[in-house]
Amino acid sequence: MAEELIDLAGVTRSVLLPDDQELHILRGITLSICSGDHTAIIGRSGCGKSTLLNLLGLLDLPTAGELTFMGVPARQLSGNARARLRGSSVGFVFQQFNLLPGRSALENVVTPLMYATGRDFWKRRELAMDMLDRVGLSHRAGTHPALLSGGEQQRVAIARALVRRPRLILADEPTGALDVDTGQAVMALLDTVATESGAALVTITHDVNVAALARSCYRLDQGVLSALSVPAAATA
Amino acid sequence: MTGVVSALLEAWQELRINKTRILLALVGVALSVAALTSVVGVGNLAREGLTANSERNGGRSATLGVGVYGPTAPDAATLTAAYQAMVARYGIDYYTSVDQAENGFQFPTGVRRVQLQVVDPGYGTIHRLTLEQGGWFTAGDETRLAPAVVVNEAFYNLAGRPNLTTNPGVGILGAGPATAVIIGVVPDDWEQAPPSAFILSAAAAAADIPLSGSGQFKFWVGQEQAEPLKAAIASDLQAQFPGMHIQVDRADYASQGDPFAVVQLAVGGIAGLVLLLGAVGMLNISMVTVRYRVREIGIRRSFGASSHRIFVGVMMESVVATAFAGVLGVMVAVAVVKNPWVEKTIAPGLSTYPPFPVDAALLGLGSAVLVGALAGAVPALVAVRVKVIDAIRF
Repeated sequence: MAEELIDLAGVTRSVLLPDDQELHILRGITLSICSGDHTAIIGRSGCGKSTLLNLLGLLDLPTAGELTFMGVPARQLSGNARARLRGSSVGFVFQQFNLLPGRSALENVVTPLMYATGRDFWKRRELAMDMLDRVGLSHRAGTHPALLSGGEQQRVAIARALVRRPRLILADEPTGALDVDTGQAVMALLDTVATESGAALVTITHDVNVAALARSCYRLDQGVLSALSVPAAATA
Repeated sequence: MTGVVSALLEAWQELRINKTRILLALVGVALSVAALTSVVGVGNLAREGLTANSERNGGRSATLGVGVYGPTAPDAATLTAAYQAMVARYGIDYYTSVDQAENGFQFPTGVRRVQLQVVDPGYGTIHRLTLEQGGWFTAGDETRLAPAVVVNEAFYNLAGRPNLTTNPGVGILGAGPATAVIIGVVPDDWEQAPPSAFILSAAAAAADIPLSGSGQFKFWVGQEQAEPLKAAIASDLQAQFPGMHIQVDRADYASQGDPFAVVQLAVGGIAGLVLLLGAVGMLNISMVTVRYRVREIGIRRSFGASSHRIFVGVMMESVVATAFAGVLGVMVAVAVVKNPWVEKTIAPGLSTYPPFPVDAALLGLGSAVLVGALAGAVPALVAVRVKVIDAIRF
């Protein structure tokens, strides 16, 4: 039976505007993600996708409702404990790749392991090299991001997200900066690697074709999350 | 353990990547550390030189110079007996009479007038004399038939630099001509110094060498005994020589305070200001860099870097960089202070130079690390306040 990784129950996130008005970005979100899931969340710009990503990645806390990460209520965790849990259990893939400039592909993949402890820290270069090999880029390990193509950069970003073997992979518009063919190849790779490692993959996108690759799909509209059937996602 | 190692590695990686920018920022820090360390090192060297010079002229700490003066000079024998009584009463181990004289000496190139210091064997210890050749007077030298002399380099050169193991002689002219034996050679006090020599009081008397009569007696006593003894000796002598003026003063360098303290403080203050300016430059560049690195900080936070780790990481970059600059600065300072020309110019009175002072090196390094910590703390606080997702989308 798949283990529940993250559970959102009636989660609301709001911010106070300068004129003391409260802006509700997310309203009553209820979502459960288990290991091995591939979930897509689609929505237009400004609908709250990034805020939901922050919550799922323990970068933020809900204003109301309960967020449980691997059975532990997020509110009970200190900032540093959330950072440690995020480092060990969550991998991020960003739209703009966000590779660190001035560092080679290998050094970028090593970066998350700098926050690890024990064997993962001391064997960081070998682990990073293995992961680059898995995404087919071991021959480009010493190359700097500026000299890599968009697809290669995203594959390095995927290797970096997965190098600490996270339980949850959060992909924020992972194909947004790629052409259609490269985007499909990257999504296929992400899906394969996530499936092989048993991690849950949550893709936040406004691209219905990307969403259609997921096994479950949700639409976020004006802060409200609703389930979609996957075929419906393709036409949403 | 891994936290410390990885923070250092991260800092080093950041320095490596931004080496040109950081190196430019560090030039000021390295130069000011070099200036600060050099000031302390040169000050130390100058103080050592002055101490050696002062000990050679005034005596070690604490040396009391005692003189009895009046309308007519006191009887020399009575005065010497009074001094000897003082030595016995207060248990003083090292003492000497000191007087001046001038006498003709016969050299291979002709006769030269030579300045003589008429002393006792204790003079060598009290004035910490270092000899280039031979040895200082011993008690046995007082009974020599041929008076012993310890000469300076200029005298030794005029005598033709003879081998001291052959007991070389040099003629003393005057009422009772005699041949003096050179037993030791001291360095000249300064370049082109005229010939001079030390001779024991008993030998000078035997050779009928007339003294200046303005001599005094010196006692080497413990620092804490100096003041009580000054009063006691003055009182004792006054009782023995009523109506005479008794002078008992500290003759050593330590009694004058530290003449370099003010200069060293002033130059050190200027170097400190330069260091502060270097720190402000470093802070400025670090602040700009942090703004430039907002996205990177956000990305690191998303990988699990805690705010504490981000703070330490950003600060460590500054500390590692300034520590590196500090090491460079200290190396420059060592090269400057240990330069033979600088050593000879600053401390001409020293024959062997002291090693580079460890406290100066530690001060330079410590200042550099402190500057790094201060210049790194502000940008580190800014980095901690970065909102992760905003930073990633920056």
